[in-house]
Amino acid sequence: MAAEREQMTEQTAQPEPNDDLLLRVRGLKTEFVTRRGTIKAVRDVSLDVHRAEKVGIVGESGCGKSALALSILGLISSPGRVVAGEVWLNGRELASLSDREMQVVRGRNVSLIFQDPMTSLDPVMTIGSQITESILKHQRGISRRAARDRAIELLRDVEVPLAERRIDDFPHQLSGGMRQRVMIAIALANDPDLLIADEPTTALDVTTQAQVIDVLERLVEERNAAVILITHNLGVVAEFCDTVKVMYAGRIVEEATTDVLFRAPTHPYTEALLHSVPDPKRLARGPLPTIPGAPPSLADLPPGCSFEPRCPLGQGVEVCLEQAPFPIEVGSPGSIVVSECHFAQDRWAEAHNPTEGVQSHE
Amino acid sequence: MVRVIVNKVTSSIATIFGASVVAFVLLRVLPGDPARLIAGSLASDEAIAGVRRQLGLDQPLHVQYIRYITDFFTGDWGFSFSSGVPVKEILGSRFPATAELALYAFLFAFLSALVLALLATYREWPVVDGVVRALSSFGLGTPPFWFAILALIVFFEQFGLLPGPSGRLSSATTPPPLLTGFYTIDALVAGQFDILGEAIKHLILPVVSLGLVPFAFLVRLLRANLLEISSEPFIVVVRSKGIGRWLTHVRHALPNAFLPTLTASGLILAELLTGSVLVERIFTWPGVGALVVDSIKRQDFAVVQTFILLSASLYILVNLVVDILYGVIDPRTRIPTTEAR
Repeated sequence: MAAEREQMTEQTAQPEPNDDLLLRVRGLKTEFVTRRGTIKAVRDVSLDVHRAEKVGIVGESGCGKSALALSILGLISSPGRVVAGEVWLNGRELASLSDREMQVVRGRNVSLIFQDPMTSLDPVMTIGSQITESILKHQRGISRRAARDRAIELLRDVEVPLAERRIDDFPHQLSGGMRQRVMIAIALANDPDLLIADEPTTALDVTTQAQVIDVLERLVEERNAAVILITHNLGVVAEFCDTVKVMYAGRIVEEATTDVLFRAPTHPYTEALLHSVPDPKRLARGPLPTIPGAPPSLADLPPGCSFEPRCPLGQGVEVCLEQAPFPIEVGSPGSIVVSECHFAQDRWAEAHNPTEGVQSHE
Repeated sequence: MVRVIVNKVTSSIATIFGASVVAFVLLRVLPGDPARLIAGSLASDEAIAGVRRQLGLDQPLHVQYIRYITDFFTGDWGFSFSSGVPVKEILGSRFPATAELALYAFLFAFLSALVLALLATYREWPVVDGVVRALSSFGLGTPPFWFAILALIVFFEQFGLLPGPSGRLSSATTPPPLLTGFYTIDALVAGQFDILGEAIKHLILPVVSLGLVPFAFLVRLLRANLLEISSEPFIVVVRSKGIGRWLTHVRHALPNAFLPTLTASGLILAELLTGSVLVERIFTWPGVGALVVDSIKRQDFAVVQTFILLSASLYILVNLVVDILYGVIDPRTRIPTTEAR
């Protein structure tokens, strides 16, 4: 495996050689053509993920997070289509690969943990077979016996009790938390470089959530894998992720390291998201703040900033109504924030020099 | 598993009992008197009474019923009132013809439905899917007898490619030595390849005519279920493991989509095995379908009663096999045994 990976980096045709860079996405656009119009689920998204980095992608339901994950893996199915963009993994451009070559990437270099453990496993196949299927696919020449032993080992790794007996169980014999562990075991079967976890804890109760995150954290540390954690649970992000990207209406509207972003969000949407996290201390002070309105339809986006109709700052403001904001880099070295807001500069300055009133933004 | 089968057999006996009562009562409330048919229209009342006594028809109904049941299970199926030939012999000579036709028609319907449904749902191939859907609509909307006649006109009359309605073999050909009663198998075993070829040629049109509706039904059912399963999240998960599209389709989507098709297949097989009147008539196929209709017309109690009980048993047997296969395919339908939690 290691040798092959090295070989892969040798074939590098990467624009800027960077040993640390694992995944580079540039200008990715994914659209779904439906009768009600073209849904732009991913709109020109670019992102970098470094080795062993834990990246959080947060946003409301329907903001294109899952579509982004599936687009990276080349698993967008009809009527959806990746219409533009590049995905580089280990210096290889994935869009140019044939389906057969892509099969080698999936499950080995990148693997996916899916949203709902209740529907993510094949109900008529033992969990053991579902794990070994992935091992047998990617590790040529391995015997069934050895693959089975490896599967038991994986189940132990994700803390499934009585792994050697559970391996012959069917999914319906396991609880949701156990199934999610099985999903993680499948995703880790071939020691991937990148794990994309699409809301891995959403369908689980809080205790199980914490356990699953613990397992994930330990495994990532042991195996040195990078993780993209897609979630709308900001608590999980704060605990788990190194960097955060906030998605809104198919775009990444703000990205920064977790500390910086949670301390001083520059994008009004991020701020609103942070405010709507339930906080036991605040419960007494009235209802939980929410973001008024709903995300815009991805089939019919406003011409200006996509957050303008709901924005406490920009609602009705001319520049926000007419111009879609570009990503602006603000902040100081070491705590750079990229934000897609016309007022990002001001807001950053305001947050960091609260004594000085800031008027101009140019 | 043993307990499941015991349960099934118990409920099967109840079903057979029900079928036997229905058969018995229906035949006796139908107008007409078999004794008169046997004795002839000119027979005296005494002669008819004699025949009735001989047949046991003068006994009270419950006595007749008990005799009917015990005779059936002891294998004494009586004689045909109309021809005097033992029922066992009549059915024994007719059933293999029906069974051979039925099994091939079933295989044709099942296998083509399986392959076409898989292809139609494999990828976004609008043309393939369109053709499959058109075939399905055509099959469902076409009466088998009409299709049979049309096929005879085209392939026999017009082009002479296939033999006409002359039964299982041409009248000049001697059937292969009896082994299974399936001419194709018997001829193959005996090494008579010319007879094998002839038997196959005679089978083609009846098999397609008989299998068309079941095919159309199964392909529609399986296609719909495959489409539904293909959009399940676990299919994406399998794909994310690096498993190819076709393998995912066959190994994961198909077993999950298959149960309704299995149930339908069982019913279809049982129905085919109990004979088809129209198709057998058109191709002068010497099967049980035509026999039963003639026997009903002649009020040939012994033949009809036996046939009904045999059909009921056949249905039950096929469904038993289907139930067992259910457990094999879908672990969720397995009835927990004592060792399970």
